[in-house]
Amino acid sequence: MDRKPTNLDSTPTQPRPLSPNIQIYRPQLTSVLSIANRISGLVLSLGALGLVVWLNAAAAGPQTYRVVQSAIGSWAGRVVLFGCTFAFFLHLCSGIRHLIWDTVHGFELRSIYISGWAVVGVSVALTVGAWVTSLFIAGWR
Amino acid sequence: MIIEFSDQVPRVTLFKRFPVPRNFKVTPESRIETGRTWSAPAGAMRTKAFEIYRYDPDSGGNPRLDTFHVDLDDCGPMVLDALFWIKNKVDSTLTFRRSCREGVCGSCAMNMDGTNWLACTRFISEMAAPATIYPLANMRIIKDLVPDLTHVFAQYAAIEPWLRSKTPEPERERLQSPKERSQLDGYYECILCFCCTSGCPSHWWNGDRFLGPAVLLQAWRWLTDSRDDATEERLDALEDPFRLYRCHTILNCTRTCPKGLNPGKAIAEIKKAIVERES
Amino acid sequence: MERGPFRSPLARAIGLGSAKKGAQHWFAERLTAVALVPLSLWFVASIIAHAGTDYAAFVGWLRTPLATSFMILLLIALFHHSALGLQVVIEDYVHSDAKFAAVIAVRLGCYGFAVAGIVATLRIAFGG
Repeated sequence: MDRKPTNLDSTPTQPRPLSPNIQIYRPQLTSVLSIANRISGLVLSLGALGLVVWLNAAAAGPQTYRVVQSAIGSWAGRVVLFGCTFAFFLHLCSGIRHLIWDTVHGFELRSIYISGWAVVGVSVALTVGAWVTSLFIAGWR
Repeated sequence: MIIEFSDQVPRVTLFKRFPVPRNFKVTPESRIETGRTWSAPAGAMRTKAFEIYRYDPDSGGNPRLDTFHVDLDDCGPMVLDALFWIKNKVDSTLTFRRSCREGVCGSCAMNMDGTNWLACTRFISEMAAPATIYPLANMRIIKDLVPDLTHVFAQYAAIEPWLRSKTPEPERERLQSPKERSQLDGYYECILCFCCTSGCPSHWWNGDRFLGPAVLLQAWRWLTDSRDDATEERLDALEDPFRLYRCHTILNCTRTCPKGLNPGKAIAEIKKAIVERES
Repeated sequence: MERGPFRSPLARAIGLGSAKKGAQHWFAERLTAVALVPLSLWFVASIIAHAGTDYAAFVGWLRTPLATSFMILLLIALFHHSALGLQVVIEDYVHSDAKFAAVIAVRLGCYGFAVAGIVATLRIAFGG
């Protein structure tokens, strides 16, 4: 099946080549959103670790808490936090889309594409909204 | 932007391929090398370039990408017509499967401009420039555009795609109401072209154990057939972390089905039936 | 089990047969997901609402019974969902003998970190 049969002139069998898959297959909204959901989930798993580190820093006392807070407040920490926020909202919206699919609704191609673009738009909007709101509240303080 | 039917070719292409190297993680025998460019026909007014995957098992070499120039005024409108034109006028060793030329047999399934479809129902005018033709993705290749479908057909046989009855045979027909018959609509029409299965990333990574959308669609066809008595055994056979649950609802299958069927929905129905019998 | 080249294609497709389970894993992932929707939104909203506050305010907020309970529930749901999801990711991409070791390590790690988070929350809530 994977090897071509031995020829009568006894040339050695060689495995048949595998046709290209991810190397040539067109990225579509379906596959791109799916891998984005997976990548955002992996990012959030690391974020969960960060959450536990942050909680332990707070439990250890105000000095350790201040160290961790200043690390988050640095520009590198803010970039990471922004990435985590976007990953969170993307995984949230994509996850809700998956939960709707689990009830066997929204499988027509038109619905798949509309819900897909909605996930992208809503998660971008929520990320920007969350950051603007928090900067406003922090500035107001 | 919004695709309503699977035969819609997107007008805008942001990314033709995922950002991975051309021969990303391919085994040495699968590396695609540059092939030859066949000269354009003399005196042709309208030509189109076709880049076609070639593999000759008798030469012992690697697969390659050949470029052909097709005279569009001498050729029919479909990609299959272009393949025949090339075979008749330029290179008679070009090998591909074909039969009905009207989109009902599933023989000419291949990857055109990055998506799987039937060559006989894909218009040349909808193809990019140059048009790229590869065999069905992630299949062992026998020659040129002919994939080895042994494994996917074995997976189809594994789900026992026939009526399993435990009740005595009726005198005449097994009765079925129009409503019960309508539950087969959208599932019985599958032509087993395997465009969906070969476009499923989960089947790419786990095709040895994951059944794939075509087989699972047919599994649902038999599960939902009111005349079938083996529902329990069928669901038992499907409830497996790999056979069924490698499906993560990526939905490349529904997007690419040349008959407009919905394997993603069928799989969701199977998962729902399995959960329903637990509660 | 020796699986040589002379096995029939059907035997290859059937493999070791159906495990006859997998629905519980699938359902648990959805259950924790449904729990995480309100819990994670509550957490993000609380963080935003407390942007720019100091240590005392943060501790005061986490000490309230609602916040403590929600944080513990969040940690349980989050790490269980994460463990199930990461197991699926590893099963998808790792096919060598390292697969089982990786799944065990990831699952135990998730539950260990969950306990660490819960203990930290309780220390903040009940500490002096």
